[in-house]
Amino acid sequence: MSEQRVPRGSTVRLGAVAGDLRLEAKVRVEVDGRLVVAGDLRCDGDAEIGGPLECRNLRVEDGELTCQGDVTVQEELEAHDGSVEVRGGLSARSIDVDRRLSVTGAIRSREVEVGGTLDGQSTLEAERVSVGGRFQLVGKLTARSVETGGRMEVGAVELDRLEAGGSAQVNGGTIRESIEVGGRFRSTAPLTFGSLTVGGLADLAAGSKGGDVEVGGRFGADGDLTFGQLEVGGLGAIGGNAAGRAVEVGGRLEVQGALRLEGRAEVGGSIVVGDALEGAELEVGGRFEAKRAILSGDAEVGGAVATLLGLKAARIRLGRKSRASGPLVGGEVEIGPKARVEDLYGTSVRLGDQAEARRIHAGSVRLGDASSAEEVVYSVTIEVGADARVKAGPRKVERLDPFPL
Amino acid sequence: MDRAGPNGRPPARRREATDLYATVLEVVKRYHGHARVTRVSYGAGMPVDRLKRSLDRLVVLGLLRSEEQDGRPVYDITPRGQEFLDTYWRMRAYVELLGTDRESSARPPTA
Repeated sequence: MSEQRVPRGSTVRLGAVAGDLRLEAKVRVEVDGRLVVAGDLRCDGDAEIGGPLECRNLRVEDGELTCQGDVTVQEELEAHDGSVEVRGGLSARSIDVDRRLSVTGAIRSREVEVGGTLDGQSTLEAERVSVGGRFQLVGKLTARSVETGGRMEVGAVELDRLEAGGSAQVNGGTIRESIEVGGRFRSTAPLTFGSLTVGGLADLAAGSKGGDVEVGGRFGADGDLTFGQLEVGGLGAIGGNAAGRAVEVGGRLEVQGALRLEGRAEVGGSIVVGDALEGAELEVGGRFEAKRAILSGDAEVGGAVATLLGLKAARIRLGRKSRASGPLVGGEVEIGPKARVEDLYGTSVRLGDQAEARRIHAGSVRLGDASSAEEVVYSVTIEVGADARVKAGPRKVERLDPFPL
Repeated sequence: MDRAGPNGRPPARRREATDLYATVLEVVKRYHGHARVTRVSYGAGMPVDRLKRSLDRLVVLGLLRSEEQDGRPVYDITPRGQEFLDTYWRMRAYVELLGTDRESSARPPTA
């Protein structure tokens, strides 16, 4: 195929080129309507094309190509040690740019690979997108997989997979399989996702729904959230109702609304639930607060329990020197030594040595040494330790009044 | 003293050596064993000569591995490198959280 060559530093006017076109450095091409190159276009250095461009392959070597219009490349766009700026839409079978790709219109390609920065002012549709450095897109991003090494900030998404090294911000949408982000992830609108793994910090908009969430540092949701397993190294905060399979938080978890779990909540520090907690099991190293808590299995709290309406579980264990406000309802209730609690209800209640309770209503009661209670009502047995005191005296009844909750 | 910077955010932290190493590792990771020096330099925003020194150091520490492909060196992250990244991001988050907690600890506790 013949090659038309434009010498360095010249300005030419072109319309249709039958074969290949080669532009040396610092060339400006003025366009009659549209530049159509039947073969390949190669730019050796900086070049500017003053209108829409169509060619078979486009290669830029060690320079920046600027196109003042839509660019359609039938096969490959490649910029080696180069950048491409398109003031219009860009379509190519594959795009591979070393430095920077900047496009004001829509981008369509099967594969987009950019070493440095990808800056899109409109939408992007591709099967695979890979950006080494920074990726900015104002409009919607549709792709199967997206990988970025640095920072990514895009509009709504419809993806299978997202991997970002530094930080990623999306404006809601769907990521069907996985999200993996090293530093920080944020969705500014509701997001539906398969799984979310973030090394540092993650924030989701209200109404987001997804599978398992694993966040190293802090996790936040602006409102209601549905998840699978939620695992947070540091702090978790959910600004609405939350529902999921299980929760494991190293530090502190705050849920403004209700928290409904199929399984276990395990919190190293404290957990605060504004409304009700429902689940199978609860293990808290520090403090637990809720309006009400109903658990089908065990509840174990090391520090303090504060509920307005009470905590009900098959088995409740409070640690040494723990504190409880609001009724505790078993099953079995076991209060550690030197603890201070209010009302206890259960099939059996054990009050630890030197522990204090206000009211105990239970089938079987054991009061530890030097423990005290204002009122004890039991229906089966009572065992009283040395120096244990009951202000109103233990009272045996045929049948206990119904427990709260 | 007002510690907030522009837009009310805390002032940007100066990038330290560990930040640069993490950036390089994240960019290398994206290329799945085919990371060329020039590509990494554009992704990490580092000049090639400085990047080469960082790559050499990361290889010596066992965080990256290098091999020849078409006569040119290419890089890939090692499991140890991935471990470094996991720890780095988690630590960054904690540093930020502890900073926030220090500021919020001045507020009276809620009931």
